[in-house]
Amino acid sequence: MEDLRFPNWITLAMGVTLVAMPWILPSLTLASEILVLATGALSCTLLLGSVGLLSFGQGLYFGLGAYVSAILIRDFAVGAMAATLAASVAGCLVAALAGLLIVRRQGVYFVMLTLAFAQMGFFLALAFPKLTGGENGFGNVTRTTVAFEQLPLSNPLLLYGFLALLCFGAFAFVQRIIASPFGSVLNAIRHNDSRAEALGYDVRRFKLAAITIAGGIAALSGAMNTLLLSFVPLSAIDVESSERLLIASLIGGVGSPLGAFIGAAVLSAMSDFLSPIWPRWSTIVAVLLIVTVLFLRDGLLGLGRILRRRPKDALNG
Amino acid sequence: MADPLLIARGLGVRFGSFQAISDLDLSVSLGALHSVIGPNGAGKTTLFNALSGTRRPTQGEIRFRGLPITNVPACRRVHLGLSRSFQLTNIFRDLSVAENISLALQAVAGREAWAFWRARDPSRVSRDRAAELAQTVGLASRFEARAGDLSHGAQRALEIAMALSSDPKLLFLDEPLAGMGLDDVHRTKLLIRRLAPERTVVLIEHNMSVVLDISDTITVLAQGRKIAEGSPQQIRSNAEVKNAYLGSAA
Amino acid sequence: MSAQVLTFGALNGVGIGMIYFILSVGLTMIFGLMQFVNFAHGAFYMVSAYAAFAVAQWTGSVLPALLISPLLAAIFALVSERVLLQRTYNLPHESQILITFALAILAQESMTMIFGTLGKNVPVPEVFSGVVILGGFVYPSYRLFVVGVAAAVAVSMWVAIERTRFGAVVRAAAENPEMVGLLGFDSRKVFMAAFAFGGALAGLAGALAAPLRGVEPLMGREALAIAFVVVILGGLGSFSGALLAALLIGITQSLMSMIWPGGAHLMIYGVMTVILAFRPAGLMGRA
Repeated sequence: MEDLRFPNWITLAMGVTLVAMPWILPSLTLASEILVLATGALSCTLLLGSVGLLSFGQGLYFGLGAYVSAILIRDFAVGAMAATLAASVAGCLVAALAGLLIVRRQGVYFVMLTLAFAQMGFFLALAFPKLTGGENGFGNVTRTTVAFEQLPLSNPLLLYGFLALLCFGAFAFVQRIIASPFGSVLNAIRHNDSRAEALGYDVRRFKLAAITIAGGIAALSGAMNTLLLSFVPLSAIDVESSERLLIASLIGGVGSPLGAFIGAAVLSAMSDFLSPIWPRWSTIVAVLLIVTVLFLRDGLLGLGRILRRRPKDALNG
Repeated sequence: MADPLLIARGLGVRFGSFQAISDLDLSVSLGALHSVIGPNGAGKTTLFNALSGTRRPTQGEIRFRGLPITNVPACRRVHLGLSRSFQLTNIFRDLSVAENISLALQAVAGREAWAFWRARDPSRVSRDRAAELAQTVGLASRFEARAGDLSHGAQRALEIAMALSSDPKLLFLDEPLAGMGLDDVHRTKLLIRRLAPERTVVLIEHNMSVVLDISDTITVLAQGRKIAEGSPQQIRSNAEVKNAYLGSAA
Repeated sequence: MSAQVLTFGALNGVGIGMIYFILSVGLTMIFGLMQFVNFAHGAFYMVSAYAAFAVAQWTGSVLPALLISPLLAAIFALVSERVLLQRTYNLPHESQILITFALAILAQESMTMIFGTLGKNVPVPEVFSGVVILGGFVYPSYRLFVVGVAAAVAVSMWVAIERTRFGAVVRAAAENPEMVGLLGFDSRKVFMAAFAFGGALAGLAGALAAPLRGVEPLMGREALAIAFVVVILGGLGSFSGALLAALLIGITQSLMSMIWPGGAHLMIYGVMTVILAFRPAGLMGRA
């Protein structure tokens, strides 16, 4: 894994990139989309990169966050900051509950359960159309203000700024966790969970904590999505949503939070540029995924490392 | 005579239809170096797994310092004062020796493991202590090396260092000498011998000369049952033990 | 709700359940054998269903697809094993999952490219287009046919696994892959045969389900989730567990669709969650 101090050059790089994006990229919307996807992908990166848990179900929390924030903003006149916070907390709670069931199982069984739960989330949203808008989605979530009626998000640059703040916050948080004792335990669990257990770590509890945090982050990105779209499509909570988050984190490389951002940027750019030309552009994504799994173990981030031919670092533990 | 540190009564472990150990009584005295020997398949590692909490026994009970620990999970037993090393080297291969040992120290450093908002606190997970432990098992010169790059004997030594990190009252060592060269065997033998009586050590080993040399008590298992127990002299001259080893043609 | 309607619903549920069983049993057996879960399993189902559609278009009846689709699916399985999967055997299990996942995406996109995004109907075969009258009951013949085929498959599988030499080898390989090698069998060949067979079963399920549900590109994804629920609920690697679980969720879905149609699919997952809370290893699973 990367340099494990916090903050480090990656933190700085992220900050600079987030500030620069609106000026580099052709559209502010694309930049905002990248922020949303990057935050969501971060939840997959945390689980897979740090703990070694492959989750096909982060879309459940993404959708949850999207709906919760939408309902609060539209029907309860809650400000964006508060709605986002509430959405994240909801994500943590539901993740903790689901996690209690899921942590008992390991390996492949765990992965299958995440997919099943993701699908369940979809049918939940579909089964209660009065709450979620069902197939039509939850609409009219008019752009509100950040807090206390200040900073209206109808201003696209302000919206971007708010999303960037949230994204950076999540990013810095994950970096902090990784570079902490808690993070070292997650790392140990990923390497060898039976050994971690034998050393005295309650592995299940640590996994549950990671699942809870990841759920909160995914829910955060769902809330960000609502702020961006002013709308919650049903697809926010379908299995494809989970898959998109996962693919973004994989392509970028799960070895580092930066990978989530890179993967999100690549995927969003591809989606924006390719989908009008070739509706079946997911084919390329699938091929990219295969290439990543077989040859680029660390995703695009790993490619960067190979190209730069970094000498093998002394272990920084 | 003081109460034994660890008592197992009527212990049985069953896998499906296979009874790995049955009706086993074991009593480990405080400060003893207690070896468990037996031919392959006798159930030694299964016994260890039950005693250390890796596998829940299907019958019987285990008491440590008088407290029942039969169903206590392995991770909690460490905090009670038990610790184990593994027969198949079970270290964190991609991490350094220093980090391997630090992780072991961190596990028993109160709530340190749950601190997610700051870097590791060196006053609670002391680098010096880790270096000390590395020194004890002869790994001082390899402190920053990647654990997976160590020689087999060095990895076995790391196993022991990690098991010692929690400052255990009772230490289970599962074939610590397996695959070691003569020099390593000698050094490790002395190390293990020095551990008792400050700690209590329960040892599985195949190296009979070491076992007979350093043990205070020896328990012999065959086919999941205890067939003999006593001092090295008693075991050396025990006909049933000879039978078990020769008869099994292992 | 009258007893007749309930019974009708339950019978429907058995039909659905039996399709779920055929769909899932290959998945659970392969897991039991190789600790491997194929995320393209739903894609085998989907591709076979599309094949059934194509067969029905060309020959006027979907019946030949009952042989063609499983064969196609088996070939698909073998080819993907050769080309992709065998590169992942030395990689962690996540890699196998992700490769098969990517394969599923490719399959889905391919089918969409060939057949378009809209769902298609597959007519019920002529000979089964009528109804059967049992006692006071009127029941569609095709559904009975499906139950019959599925039951025949279940019985022959049980016989093959429990009573034949090949079945004994498969069971041995599940317990101990190395042992099988020592006995002179190539455990890789055993696995490939089982993998192809599992794919073929998914293919059969696809062909059987096509007239009932139609075909559309997203059906593979849904099928995969259902197969997972059956496998998890039944207990990984358990044949009888898969049967029990499949029937349970089929009947649940069917009865629910009469009481609360919007929640019919949801209840499947609800049942799974409740049972898992009390029996984490599934109905017939070992912990």
